[in-house]
Amino acid sequence: MNGLESRRGGTRAILWTTLTVLVVLYAFPFVYMLFTSFKTPIETNAIPPTILPSTWTIQNYVMALSTQGVPQSFVNSIQTAVMSTLISLVLAVPAAYAVTRYRTRLGRVFILLALVMRMVPAIVVGAPLIAVFHNLGLSDTSFALALAQTTISLPLSIWLMASFFEAVPDELEESARVDGCSRLGSLWRIVIPITRGGVAVAAIFAFLASWNDFIFALLLTSVRAVTTPLQIANFQSQFGLDWGTMTSLAVLYSVPVIVLAIVLQRHIVAGLTLGAVKG
Amino acid sequence: MTAMTPERPATRPAAHSSRPSPPRARKRFRLTDNRFATLLMLPAALFLAVFVAWPLLQFVINSFYRYNPIAGGPHTFVGFDNYVRALTDAGFGNSAVRTIAYTAIVVTLEFVLGLTVALLFSGLGNRSRFFRTIFLYPLMIAPIVAGLLWRFLLIDNSGIVNQLLYEAHLISSPNQIQWLSDPNIALFSVALPDIWLTTSFISLVLFAGLQNVPGEIIEAARIDGAHYPTLLFRIILPLLRPVIAVALIVRGVDAARAFDVIVVQTNGGPQNSTNVLSLLVYNTQIANGNPGLASAMGTIYLFALMVVAVIAVLTIWRPGSDQ
Repeated sequence: MNGLESRRGGTRAILWTTLTVLVVLYAFPFVYMLFTSFKTPIETNAIPPTILPSTWTIQNYVMALSTQGVPQSFVNSIQTAVMSTLISLVLAVPAAYAVTRYRTRLGRVFILLALVMRMVPAIVVGAPLIAVFHNLGLSDTSFALALAQTTISLPLSIWLMASFFEAVPDELEESARVDGCSRLGSLWRIVIPITRGGVAVAAIFAFLASWNDFIFALLLTSVRAVTTPLQIANFQSQFGLDWGTMTSLAVLYSVPVIVLAIVLQRHIVAGLTLGAVKG
Repeated sequence: MTAMTPERPATRPAAHSSRPSPPRARKRFRLTDNRFATLLMLPAALFLAVFVAWPLLQFVINSFYRYNPIAGGPHTFVGFDNYVRALTDAGFGNSAVRTIAYTAIVVTLEFVLGLTVALLFSGLGNRSRFFRTIFLYPLMIAPIVAGLLWRFLLIDNSGIVNQLLYEAHLISSPNQIQWLSDPNIALFSVALPDIWLTTSFISLVLFAGLQNVPGEIIEAARIDGAHYPTLLFRIILPLLRPVIAVALIVRGVDAARAFDVIVVQTNGGPQNSTNVLSLLVYNTQIANGNPGLASAMGTIYLFALMVVAVIAVLTIWRPGSDQ
C-alpha cells in the first residue's frame, strides 16, 4: 500500500462509516428490486410503499416464466451472447497480436480506427443493418443479432487483448521461434496460454456487451430471436405497470451476471483498469 | 514491401523474429512479417468494414435522400436539404443542448462520487476489498433494467425514494418531488440510473490509478507539512491526469450516446424535456419514418461526437505513446 492509507484510528473510523453508508445506499436499489419481486401484486403498488414484503411469494416468478416467449428469450439471450463472444475473440485475438507484436504502420492505423468505431452510436449502425441482414436472409435471427452486438465488443476486445499481449516478454517467443515454432504456432502455443487470463477478461466483456444490449435487439429482432431485455421492457407497455413480474424477470436476468462478477472479480477489475491505467 | 519489416522501430527488442523465418515456412511462399501481421488483422478489419463502416456509409448516403420506407415511393436526391432542415429545426437544437447537459450531469456527478469512493478505498487500503466487490455489481446490470428499476424507485405517489425522503423529514409530502414528470428536473432524474450503473467504473479506474502513485511522493509532501486538500489538488490529481482523462472520455462518449436508460424511463418526455439526440434520431427514423432527416441528424451528431472525442483522445490521452 502507498502513503494514502490512513494510519490514525479516528480517521479510519470516519472513513469506514462514510464508506459503509455509501455502499448501503449503492446496494439499496437492487436489494429493493429483489424484495419487490417477492411481494404480492397488491403490496407492490401499495401507498405508502413497503421495503420488506409482508408475505413472501414466488407468484411473480411463476407469472414471469409462464409468460409467452419468456423462456425462449432466455435461450436466445444465452446463445446470442455465446456466439457474439466467440466471434469477438476469434477476430480480436489475432488482430491484437498482430498490432502489438509486429508494430506496422497499418497496425497503428487499424487500432486507432477500431477505437473510433467504438464511438459510433448504435442507432447509426443499427438502422442500416436492418437492411443488410434482410438482404443476407438473416432477419430476426440470433446470429444476425450476435454479429451486430460484436460491433460493440470487438473494438474493446482488440484494445484489451493488445494491452495483455504488450505484457508478454518477446524473449519467450524468440526462443520458441529458434526451436522451430512457426509464427502462428508461437501465438497459439506460447502467447495465448500465457495470456489466458486476458482472454477471459475480453470474453467476459464481450459476453456482457451482448447480454445487456437493448438497442440492437430492439432494431433487429421481432419474434424468433427476441432476447430477455426486450421481454423485460415489454412488461411495462403490454400489461400497464406490472412491476412485480417485471422485477422478478429483471432479477432472474441480472443474478447470473452478478454472481459471475463476484466470482471473476479480479479479472473484471483487471479489464476495467488495465487499458485506462496503462494507456 | 518485400524487405523484412521496414516499419519496425529500432528500439524494439524483438529483433530476433525479423530474422529469416525457419526454412520450413519459407519454402512454399514468402510471407514477410509485415504481410503476416496484415493477414492476422484482415478478418477483424473486414468485419468492421462490413458491419460498421458499410452501414455507416449507407447512413451518410441516406442523409442526402428523401424517402418514406413505410409508404414506399421513390428515393429523391435532395442534396443538403435534410441538413438544412435538421439545423434549422428547433427540436434538433434543443436535443443537442439536452445531450450536452445530460453528458455534463452524468460525467460531473460520476467523477465527484467516483473520486470520493476511490479515495475512501485508498484510505482504508486492502481492508476495503469487500466493499470494492459490492461496488462492482451495478456494472453487470443491463441499462434497461437499471432504467426500469429507477423509474419504479422514483415513480410518483408510491416511489420509495420520495417515501424515504419524507420519513427523513427532508420533504413535506411523499408527492413533493415529481422526479420524472416535472420537465424542469426530469433530465437530471433520468441520469440517475446511468450514474448508479457506472460510478463504479470511475471508482475502480481511479483506485487503480491511485495504487500507482509512488508512496515516496506522498510521504515527502506529508513531511513538508502538506494538508490533505493540498495533497489532493496539488499532487494526487495532477499525477492522475491521464487516468482521469481516459475515464472521463470513455464515460463522456457513452453518456452522449445514452438510449436504453432514457427510453424506458420517459421515452423523451415530459414535454420533450429528456428527448436527447439518440432518441430524436431513433424516433425520426423508426416512428416518424423519415430516414433521410434522421440520417442527417445522426450524421451531424456522430460527426460532433467524433470531433470532440478525437480531439480529447489526441490531446489528453495520446494512446500508444510510451508514457
